[in-house]
This record gives sequence, structure tokens and C-alpha cells, in this order.
Amino acid sequence: MRAAIEGARAGLSVAVVSKVYPVRSHSVAAQGGINAALKETDSWEDHMFDTVKGSDYLGDQDAIEIMCKEAPGDIMELERMGAIFSRDPEGGIAQRPFGGAGYPRTCYLADRTGHGLLHVMYEQLIKHGVVIYDEWHVSRVVVDGAVARGVIAIELATGKLHRLHSKAVLIATGGYGRAFGTTTNALSSTGDGIGLALEAGASLMDMEFVQFHPTTLKRTGILMTEGARGEGGYLLNSKGERFMKKYAPSVGELASRDVVSRAEQTEIQEGRGVDGCVLLDLRHLGEKMISERLPQIRELAINFAGVDPVTDPVPVRPGAHYSMGGIMTNFDGETTIRGLYAAGEAACVSVHGANRLGGNSLLETIVFGRRAGLAASSYCAASPLPEFPEGALEQAAFDVASIFKRQEGEQASVIRAEMAGVMEEHGGIFRDRARLSAGLEKIRALKERFKGTALTDRGEYYNSELLSVFELGSMLDVSESILLGALNREESRGSHSRTDHPDRDDENWLKHTIVSKDPATGGLKISYKPVTVTKFTPKARKY
Amino acid sequence: MKIKFKINRANPVASGESAEPYMQAYMVEVAEGMTVLEALMKIADEQDPTLAFRKSCRSAICGSCAVEVNGFSRLACSTQVLPEFRKMGDMVVGPLKNHLVAKDLVVDFDPFWEKMEKVSPYLVPDEGAGEVAVTNEQEKAIDSSQKCIMCGCCNSECNALEIDPEYTGPAALAKAWRFVGDVRESASVRRLEKLSEEHGMWHCVRCFHCTQYCPKEVAPLKAIEMLRSRAMKAGITETFGAKHTLAMADSVKKLGRLDEAAMMFRTLGFLRSLGKIPFGLKMEMHGKMPFPHLFPQIGNIKEVKAIYEELERRAGDEVKDKRKGPGSDRRKR
Repeated sequence: MRAAIEGARAGLSVAVVSKVYPVRSHSVAAQGGINAALKETDSWEDHMFDTVKGSDYLGDQDAIEIMCKEAPGDIMELERMGAIFSRDPEGGIAQRPFGGAGYPRTCYLADRTGHGLLHVMYEQLIKHGVVIYDEWHVSRVVVDGAVARGVIAIELATGKLHRLHSKAVLIATGGYGRAFGTTTNALSSTGDGIGLALEAGASLMDMEFVQFHPTTLKRTGILMTEGARGEGGYLLNSKGERFMKKYAPSVGELASRDVVSRAEQTEIQEGRGVDGCVLLDLRHLGEKMISERLPQIRELAINFAGVDPVTDPVPVRPGAHYSMGGIMTNFDGETTIRGLYAAGEAACVSVHGANRLGGNSLLETIVFGRRAGLAASSYCAASPLPEFPEGALEQAAFDVASIFKRQEGEQASVIRAEMAGVMEEHGGIFRDRARLSAGLEKIRALKERFKGTALTDRGEYYNSELLSVFELGSMLDVSESILLGALNREESRGSHSRTDHPDRDDENWLKHTIVSKDPATGGLKISYKPVTVTKFTPKARKY
Repeated sequence: MKIKFKINRANPVASGESAEPYMQAYMVEVAEGMTVLEALMKIADEQDPTLAFRKSCRSAICGSCAVEVNGFSRLACSTQVLPEFRKMGDMVVGPLKNHLVAKDLVVDFDPFWEKMEKVSPYLVPDEGAGEVAVTNEQEKAIDSSQKCIMCGCCNSECNALEIDPEYTGPAALAKAWRFVGDVRESASVRRLEKLSEEHGMWHCVRCFHCTQYCPKEVAPLKAIEMLRSRAMKAGITETFGAKHTLAMADSVKKLGRLDEAAMMFRTLGFLRSLGKIPFGLKMEMHGKMPFPHLFPQIGNIKEVKAIYEELERRAGDEVKDKRKGPGSDRRKR
């Protein structure tokens, strides 16, 4: 959406195509905030260092530098657009501490920052007259001769296929959390754009890095913001100990997410958990502070876990939260295909490397959304409209028809549930060679079975089952890339933790994993590319 | 515990026409804590994949899954099955009201977005004012409007929208207040004029449903009242709604009570009031005409006058505070 605004400002004809109405997109659930070095006592260099360290030195430092330098300008622009950030007593933009950051630099709108910013983006889309094709699911990114030529989308309300012919295509479809059983992600976070890009011939990068958020509600995986710990919340084990002091003596609960998640998992596995969870204790903050700073958290805990954080600690456990990897782009959002751009969680620039810091994801969507929108606008101004390949629409229609044609076969929901189980068990927080290769086998077997899925719903209008087949296809491709990358990376770095290779290995593995489709075999191939190191040479990472 | 879900379904027909409804029952094994949305997903996964409903964040922030549960508009994701079932003794799920049904629990939401777009839902800052920061205090005036997730529960329960489908509706009016009430907004008066037009904010009948059924405490009625009050303060009083309000205030000031016949003349004017004669006769026939036709003043009118004087004095103070200028309540960054 940020990119679309840039295109509209440049005078282009822009459309947003989305399987949900734009205000439903999952950025709406981002609670905690957005980072920027605003204060005189803070600096973009410090923000950059924290991000590089948080990434376990896998983030590209040139890209991180851009993000941290441009962050304050973007915060100011968001306010001009209409956002209202919470204020400190002096009237400046208030900032709270977040995990892995050496300075309180996370700006926020209470604990609904993503909701606030997403609605501002929607407002700006309307203001700029951007066309919204809502509840249209893109089934194919059309690429011919390594040049993007538009997309084909299915209108969910009617089942009609549409051809959208354009000079440039930008993918901003977010993450793939739903490939895992326990996830904070929306039901719609199914990695569609990542799967489409892979299918269209683009490269994916660092897919093995999946962030597990330390505090998600037990049954549903619903997120309890890191802001809860930022405001002073404790994590306790069954003995009532603040166990994080053991794992990260200096910062405790505010170590980076991968560190906290591993600590929790270790406590649980070693028998110091509470019914498969640890406890998030906010009681000492008092009712006033909880209601003022974390109102949504209180509501969510009451409604979805039956616990009021004012009086009782909330049982939480780690859950799949964020995709550090994604479609490989440079810092102008360009992918390996001309005219095809990507931004946000779907993309991998890479600023998050092996582990993302809280408050950097909204920032990434804004900074790199803007940059990608600008770059795509200049590309459009300089290029003629490429031909839309003959037969692409027919081929897409044939693909849909062939799903409908299968009379007998498995239901997509069965395969989806198995996939989520496999990813949880084989691609989770702790990994090793045996588990990963077994997982890869299983996902490949599921991909074979997927080819035989059949529909029960044969209607054209609002066929949610058909949509779930498309989503499953993308998630299986994404899952295979995650496990393939993880199996090959024989070290532990950031969120990727190999029990058979417990140490970081800069000599052999300070490099990005690239996965793409092998046109010869139709399978996936893997290659590597060096990490850009500018200011900070890799050091051991301790919190 | 096994619970019978009765779901109002409808198969889609050609677009633009409402679908033919029918009810289908499903038995669902419900665990403690399970939400209506989880139950719907369980039905779609295990029993009937043709069941259509919207869903996304499942944590009450995206606004996708509003449906009617046992007759009231709710978010499926934040409504727990067991407490609801224990309270109501039933579990009937249907689509939102005041919207055409597209399929099953999915309604045509286009009119909702069109209403939203009609109120120009974006800030129009004063370009010359430079950077104006909104203080936490100033934010409070529009804080509830900012909580809106655009789920449509309020529009579904709105009585005025049921009568007049073109009415702007509580959701869009709450959004309009979010901008009118923003200290940075420069087009407030233009907005208020537009909202005072036919199908605008004066169509609200103040039934409280929007506020009562909002799952996010947006309180759209409060926003509508703020808009009306601002419009009248801005001198936009040539509307039936504003005239009616003024007539009501005057009547109470003069008589200490409502003189409904006289109020009608003030609101509608003489000629239009003549058109209401048949209506008046019908009321008379049904014994609903207030009697006597002309009301005398109440006894202790002095007390009423004192209340009015106090109110006017306070309103005057408020205006004075505002006039202290940008320095006092606008903070430059």
C-alpha cells in the first residue's frame, strides 16, 4: 500500500489487488511499534548496530544503513498523512524499549500501532484514487522472457478470472506463518506472493530463517506484544523463577526474540514449564499501567485465554511469527525479474538477516515500500507496456478447470493440517540433520498428494475451498524452501538453531541462501551469495 | 460437549440479487474456550467445505468475521461458544443485517466501503500550518473513533439504515468524526456541511444500537453527537435536524417541557407542516395526539432558566478557551 501511494503520487494508474480488503491485511495485528532514532541521545548508527547484531550479522549492512537513516523521515511523513503517535510528557513522540535494542526507540500508537498505520495507508489509497480490487486472489504472476507483464487474478465473489496487464508488478503479500501449526499469523498469511514469485522464476533468499515469537497464547497462538516485556513484564517458569536471567544476564526478558524463544523451549523441555507454557507476569505493573499502555493485550488475554493479566500471569509459548526470508530484492525492491518488485515481509532485502528485531518490520514495510514504489514508478515511466503473452489467461483458466475436474481426491484441509504438523516438528525452534531431512521427505510427499486434491464445493461464487487449494500450493513450496535451506545450513545463527551444529560458523556460512526453481528439473536448486559487511565486523552475540 | 449449530445459509444467484436463504444444522464438538470462528472452521474442515464465511486475523483486529450470533451482530472470532450457548440456549449463526447476502455468511460489503469513501476518509491538513503535533489530550477526543476495525456490526444493527439504505451510517460517521475532531484538520466545516445533507448525520435516530453492539468500544453515537454539535456551533443550522434540536431547546427553555406541535412548525415550516395534517388526524383517531394541544408553562420554570444560563455560561468559557489561540492547545514540534 505504501508503494501504491508512491505510484499514484507519480501520476501512474495504480491498482491494489488483494484477497482481503486492504484494512484486513495482517499488518493490522502488529501491536508494539515502529523503530526510529528520533532523540538527540540516540543515533541511526546505534539503531543500525542493534539491527546488525540482532540479525546475527547476516543482514546486509548497506540495506540496514538505509533503513535506519531514513526511518525518522518516514515517521514524520506518517504523521503528516494522519497517524497520531503516542506522546511523551514533553510532547515529543513517545518511545518504548524493545527487545535487542540498546535504546528505547520504538514509537507506538498505544498497542495498536499496526492497526493505526494500516488504516492511514488505506486512507491515503482512497485519497489518491488508487483502484482496489478487493477479494481478488492472484493465481499467477505473468512473466515472459524474464520480464513481468501483469497478473491473473480470480475474483472470489464470482469465480471469474481477470487479466491485469501492467508495466510493473509489486508483491507485498506478507509472510507464511500458516505453514506452521502454532503461529501468531492471520489465517490469510499463507505466503501466496512468495510462492507465486518462485513459480514465476524469481529467487528466494534466507528462507530457513523463521522467527518464533516468545509470547503467544497457548491454544490459539495469538500474539502478546513484546511491548508487554518492554513495559516491564517478567517471564516465569514453574518454580516462579525469572529464568531469562540465566540465558541473558544483562538484559533478561528483553534479549532478542530468538534467544528468548530458545530459552522458553529449553525450560519447557527440561520440565520447568507450566502445561507446555511459561508464564508472562504483568501483575506488578498494576491495573492502571496495563489498561493505559497495553489495553489490547488485556482484552486479548481475557477473551482468548480466560486470564486477566492484572490478577494472574498469562501462559505463553513460542509460535511462528515472522519470515525473515522471502523474495530476494535489492534495496529498491527489484527482484531478479525485470518489472517484478517485492516489499515488506514477502521480500528479503535483507535487513533482518537471521533474526528480526521487534519494531523493525513495520519500519521495513514503510521504508522499502516507499523505495520500491518509487523505483517501480521510474521503471514504468521509462519502459513501454510489454505484450501480455497469448494464452496466459487460457492456461490459468485451464489450471482452475482441472482442479474442478478432479472428481475424487483428498480434501485440501487434510493436507494442510499434516503440513502444519510436519513444519512444527521438523522445522521448529531446534533443528538437526535427521529431523530436517525427514521433514523434507514428508513435505515432498505431501506435494505429490496435493496434485490429487479435489473440491467438494463446485460452485463459482465465493468458493473458499478453491482459495484454500491455491494457498496450500504456495505454502507447500514455501515449506520445501525453508527445510531445504535449513538442511544445508550447517551452523546455528539467529533463529536457525541446529543442535548438531550449535555454533555460528562465519568462515563457511556468513552468506545468504538462495533458492530458486530449476527450469530443467522443475525442482528447487540452492546457491549462495555473500553478506555485505560495511561498518560492523561480526562478533560473538551476547545479551 | 456437542452443540448444534444452526447456520443461515444462502446459495448465490446472479450478482445484485439477494440469495435464497435456508437453515442448515451441524453438530460440533466444542471445547472450553472455543470461539464461533473456530467452530465454523471446524465445520468447513471436517463436515462441509462449501460453507462460506470471511476470516483473517482471528484476534478481533482485522474486522473480517462479523456475523450475527443468536440475533446480534458480533465478531465470530471473539465470541466464545460455550458461554454464549449457556446464556442463550441456542447457537444460530447468520449473515450481518442491512446488507445483501452474497453466499452463506458472506455479505456484499461494497456499500459499506462506498459509504466510507463518501466521507473522504483522510486527513486534510492545513498546508500552511507546518508540523502540528497532536497531544495525548487532543487525541483522546477521537481515540474511540480510531479504534474502529470496520467490521460492520454497527451498520448491521442500525435502525436508521434499515429504513434508508442510503444513510451514511454509524461506521462512516465515526470515521468522519475522527477527522473533524482532529486538531490538524483544515476542512472540518466543509465536511460538516456535507454531512448535514440528505442521508447524512441527522438521519440517526439515536437508538444506541451502534454503540451497544460495537465490539471495539468505538461508540459511533457519541461521534455522531459530536458532529451534530460541531455543525450547529459552526452555524450549519438550516437542516431539519438542527432546526428540530433548536426548537426542542427553545420549547424547554420557554415552557419547561416539549410542545410538540409548535416544534413541528419550527422544524418543518408552515407549508410543510400542513402536509402533516393527515398524519395528525390518524394520531387523533388512535388516541395518540398529545393533550392538551397547547401546553402551558410548567410551574417552576425559573429552575429551568437557571440551568440554561449556567449551560450558556459554560459554553461561553469553552469558546474563550479556544480563542486563546494555537499556542495553548496546539503544540508545535
